[in-house]
Amino acid sequence: MSETVTYREAVVRAMADALAEDDTVFLLGEDVAAAGGVFKLTEGLQERFGARRVLDTPISETAIVGAAVGAATQGLRPVAEIMFADFVAVCFDQVANQLAKYRYMTGGQVTMPVTIRLVNGAGTGFGAQHSQAVENWFLNVSGLKIVAPATPADAYGLLRAAIADPDPVLVFEHKGLFNVRGALDGPAAGELGKAHVVREGSDVTVVATQMMRHRAEQAAQQLAGDGVEVELIDLRSLAPMDVPTVIASVEKTNRLVVVQEAAPSGSWGASLIARVLLDGFELLDAAPALVGCDDVPIPYAGPLEDAHLPSAGRIVDEIRAAMER
Amino acid sequence: MKTNRSSPETSPAGAGLAADQLLAMLRRMHEIRLFEDETHRLFAKGLVRGSTHLCQGQEAVAVGVCSALDRDGDTMLCTYRGHGAVLAKGAPLDRSFAEILGKADGLCGGKGGSMHLTDVSVGALGSFAIVGAHLPIAVGAAFAAMYRGSGAATACFFGDGSTNIGAFHEALNLAAVWKLPVLFVIENNLYGEYSPLASTTPIARLADRAASYGMPGEQVDGNDVEAVVACAGAAVARARAGEGPTLIEALTYRHKGHSRSDPATYRPEGELEEWMQRDPLLLTEAALRERGVDQAALDTLREQAAGDVAGALERAMSWPDPTPETRLEGVYA
Amino acid sequence: MARIAMPRLSDSMEEGTVVNWLVGDGEQVARGQEFVEIETDKAQMPFEAEEDGVLRQLVPAGTTLAVGAAMAVIGDDEELAGGTEATSEPVEAPAESLTEAEGLPAGGPTVLAERGRVAASPVARRLADELGVELANVAGSGPGGRVVKDDVLRAAESASDGAPASDAPAAADPPSPASAPAADGGAKGAPTRVALSRLQQTVARRMAESRATIPDFSVSVDVDMEAALALRAALAERDVKVTVNDLLIRASAVALTRHPRVNGSYRDGHVETYARVNIGVAVASQEALVVPTVFDADRRRLTEIAAEVRRLAGAVRDGSITPPELAGGTFTISNLGMYGVAEFAGIVNPPQAAILCAGAAEPRAVPLPDGRCATRRVMRLTLVSDHRILYGADAAAFLAELRALLETPVAALA
Repeated sequence: MSETVTYREAVVRAMADALAEDDTVFLLGEDVAAAGGVFKLTEGLQERFGARRVLDTPISETAIVGAAVGAATQGLRPVAEIMFADFVAVCFDQVANQLAKYRYMTGGQVTMPVTIRLVNGAGTGFGAQHSQAVENWFLNVSGLKIVAPATPADAYGLLRAAIADPDPVLVFEHKGLFNVRGALDGPAAGELGKAHVVREGSDVTVVATQMMRHRAEQAAQQLAGDGVEVELIDLRSLAPMDVPTVIASVEKTNRLVVVQEAAPSGSWGASLIARVLLDGFELLDAAPALVGCDDVPIPYAGPLEDAHLPSAGRIVDEIRAAMER
Repeated sequence: MKTNRSSPETSPAGAGLAADQLLAMLRRMHEIRLFEDETHRLFAKGLVRGSTHLCQGQEAVAVGVCSALDRDGDTMLCTYRGHGAVLAKGAPLDRSFAEILGKADGLCGGKGGSMHLTDVSVGALGSFAIVGAHLPIAVGAAFAAMYRGSGAATACFFGDGSTNIGAFHEALNLAAVWKLPVLFVIENNLYGEYSPLASTTPIARLADRAASYGMPGEQVDGNDVEAVVACAGAAVARARAGEGPTLIEALTYRHKGHSRSDPATYRPEGELEEWMQRDPLLLTEAALRERGVDQAALDTLREQAAGDVAGALERAMSWPDPTPETRLEGVYA
Repeated sequence: MARIAMPRLSDSMEEGTVVNWLVGDGEQVARGQEFVEIETDKAQMPFEAEEDGVLRQLVPAGTTLAVGAAMAVIGDDEELAGGTEATSEPVEAPAESLTEAEGLPAGGPTVLAERGRVAASPVARRLADELGVELANVAGSGPGGRVVKDDVLRAAESASDGAPASDAPAAADPPSPASAPAADGGAKGAPTRVALSRLQQTVARRMAESRATIPDFSVSVDVDMEAALALRAALAERDVKVTVNDLLIRASAVALTRHPRVNGSYRDGHVETYARVNIGVAVASQEALVVPTVFDADRRRLTEIAAEVRRLAGAVRDGSITPPELAGGTFTISNLGMYGVAEFAGIVNPPQAAILCAGAAEPRAVPLPDGRCATRRVMRLTLVSDHRILYGADAAAFLAELRALLETPVAALA
C-alpha cells in the first residue's frame, strides 16, 4: 500500500532518501538549505543532513552548475537547484557546453552523475521570465537527459532515478503542481526514458506532460461521456523520448493529438510529431494535431495567462476537431 | 616602446629548490617548448584541424604550479592554450600529440582535439574552450576534496582576459565564501584575444582583484620557475590547511601570436625582444649554471628532451585514425 | 503536347469516373471530338478534346480520379514517344467556396488531386495494399472524400463476404430450411449485394448531412384544388397540356417572390437571398433522385414551365441531363401525388431554406358554412424548413400565400 503525498512532499522525500542512502549525494542551490527552498522543495533537509550535505550558494548560477560539474569529476553526485528554470539561461554555457559534453569530449574519461532540478511552468502569474517551458531549450543538446514529472509518484521516482543515473539529468518540477496529491508509488515511476499510458482508449492518442497531462485527463473524462475514448499518455521523459510507446498507441487509434505548454517551434511536441510521422506515417488516418500556446511571452494578467495556456475545455474542442480531420 | 607595467614584486624566491628538482623542471619545460614548436610545424603542414593555441614562453608558469601539486588526487584545469599545463601535470607526449592529430589513441580518442587535452589519470581534468568556464568547475573539484577531507588541492590556469568574464567572479566568490582549496592562476601575458590588456581592464594589477573576494592575491614573475614554485607552494599549503583559495598573477609573455592562424601584428616594437631575453628556459639554465651545473649537461638535457619529443611524435603519427562508428560512443555512461 | 486532367464538370464535383474511352489509345483525335465519357456525382457525360493529336490514355476505363488528376495526354507521336511529361499547367483546384455552396465539406485533397492520387490516409493506403483493395474503387468517408481506414476495412470485408463459406458444417441429414441456417445465407437468405453508384453515394451522403446538420421542421396545409383542376381541364380542352405540378411550380415561384427568405440559403451564420427564383423539381430517374432546375420560374408562363419540366424529365430519363441543369436551384418541389401519397415530409436540399412536398389531390368531405358537406379534391402541402432561416410563422405565411394562389389560380398566372 502506498501513502498519499503532495508533489512537493514527494520531491523532498526523494532527496531525503537519496541523501540517506548515498554519502556522495549533496544538494546545492540558492536558499535550499536554511530556508528549505523558496518553494519548500528542500524543507528540513539541512536540519536533518547538515551543512556539509545541503548547501546554500550565492546567487551564482554559473558557479552552481560549474561546481556540480567539478564535483562530479571527483565522484560526487551533486543535485543542483535552479530556483526558476528560466534562470538556467544565465548558466547556459555550463549546462550545454560543459555538463552535456564533458564526457564525450574527453573520450569518456569523466562521468557526470549530475542532477539539476529546475522549477518550470506557467499558470501561477509569475510572468514571462519565471514561467517558461524551459525543458524545450535543451532538446537539441546531445548528452543531456530531460524529465518532466506530472504526479507525486513520478516526482519521487524520476528524481531518485535521475540522482542514481550516471549521466546529467535535468529534472523539471512544475510550480503549478506542487499541491497535487497522489500515491507515492506509481507504475514505472523510477524509469528514465519511459512514458506512461495513463488511460487506455481506442479513438485517439493524446500525449501530454505535467500540467497539460492533468488537463488532458479532465478532457478525456469529459469526452468519454460523449463516447470518444481517449488513450492518454504522459510522456514523462523528453530526452530520451519514448516514441515507441506513442507509436504503439497510434497503431491502435490511428489519430494523434499532442498537448503542450509551449509554442510549436522547437518544442518536444513538434519533435514527437515529427518522429511519429517518420516512424509511423502509415498508422495515421489523419494529420496529427499540436495543441499548445501562442508564440508570445507569458503575460502576467490572469485572463491573459489563462487564455495563453490550453484549458481543459480547449483541449476537448481540439480533440473533437482532430476526430473530424 | 616600453611595456607599461610595474615590475613584479619579489616573493621569497627559489633558494629552496635543489639542482635535480630544477633540472627536472627544465627538462619538462624543454619538452613543452619543443612540443609546441612541433605542433606549430604540424599546423603549417595542415595536420591540425581548426586552430591551435600555443604557449611558448609561458612554460615556467605551468611547470612551476604543477610541481606544487605534489599529492595524488591534486587536480588541474586549464584553457584551450593548455598543452603546456597538461604536459606539466604529467600527460604523455605521444598521446598528447595523437589527440592534436585526431588519432584514435589520442588522450580523448580524437573526440576533443588541441583545445581539449585531458588526462584524468594524472589529474589533468581538462582544457576548456569557453573563456572562464572551467573556473567554477575547478571550484567543484576543490569542493569534492573538502567534502571528503582528502587534503587535495586544485589549480586552474587562465588568461588575463578571463578575469573580466562572469564565471571568474562567481567562481572566486564561491571559492572564497566556502574556503575551498583552489589556486586561481592568471597567466598574464599582457594580451587578451587580440587586444592589449589596458583596453579591456580598468586595473593594472590583476592580483588586486583578489581583494574583492577576500582572498590573498599574489603577483609573481611567471618566467622565474623557482619564484612560481615558491608562490604556488605557499598557496597549496594554505589550501591544504583549509585556509581557502588564492589568486596568483603570473607575469609572462607569449612568443607567438594569439592563435596560430594570425601573426602577431599587434605587438608594440621592441616588446618581443625584451621578453625574449627573459625566456624562462634561458633563466632556468642560468640559475642551474649558478648551482654548478655545466652547459654540457644542460645541452644533453635538451637533446634528451628533443629525442623524447621526436620519438613521441613519430609514434603518434603512425597511429590509426578513429573509425566513424566511434563518433556515436561515449555520450552517456 | 497537352495534359488532360479530369475536368470539373459541376460545382460539387470532386472526382469523376472514366466510364469508357470513345477513342482508342494511340488513335487520332480531333479538336471538338468527344473522346471519353465521364460519370460525375450528378450525371454521365462525354468530354471533348481541345486539340488535335494522338490520344494517350493514362488510366483504364472504370478508374476514378480526383478533379485535376491526369487522365490523358494528347500530343503528336514524337512527343508521346518521349514520355508523358506534362507541358501544360495542371487544372486548378476547385474553389473552396463553390464546394461549400453545395453543402459539402470544404478543402478537399486538392494537392493530391493535382498529382493524380486517390485521396487516402496513410493507414488506409497501407491497408489497401496489404488487403488487396483497389483504392480507386473505395468510397471515402473522410473529409473531402478521403479514404480512411474504416472505408478500406469495409471494402475488404464486403469483397470477402461475397465468397461462399468454405467451412460450413456438414450435416448428417440435409438441414430443413426452417430450422438450420444455410451456410451462405442465414435467416434472411443469401444476400445480394448491389453497390451504390457514384450518384447514389452522393445522394446518400448529402441526405445524411442534411439530416444531421439542419434543424428542420414541417408545416402542412390543405389546399382546395378544385379551381386549379378546373383550370387544367380548361387548358386541356385547348390542347394545352399542363400538370398540377406545373401549376404548383408557377404558384410557388410567385409566392417565393413575395417571401424571399423562403427562397434563401443559410451560410455561416447569415442568410442569403437571391434575385432569381430557380425551382428544382425532384424527378425519379432509373437509379436515383435527381433535381433538375427550372430557372426563373417566376418569369415563365405556365406553359413554358410545363414544356421545360417535360424537357428536363426527358433528359433525365435518357441520361442527357447536364450538370448546369442540375445546379443553381433556390427552392425544391417534390411531388409524390402520382403514387397516391397523401402527405410526406422530405429532406431539405442544402443549402436551400426549404423543400415543398406535395401529396395527391384526393376527394375529401369538406364542411361548408351552412353545415352541409361537399366533396372537394384537397391536396396536402408540407413545407419542410431550415429553422436557422425560417420560423414557423414564415413557413405558415408562405404556405398561406401559396394556398391562396392555388385556390385562385388566375392570381398565380398574372
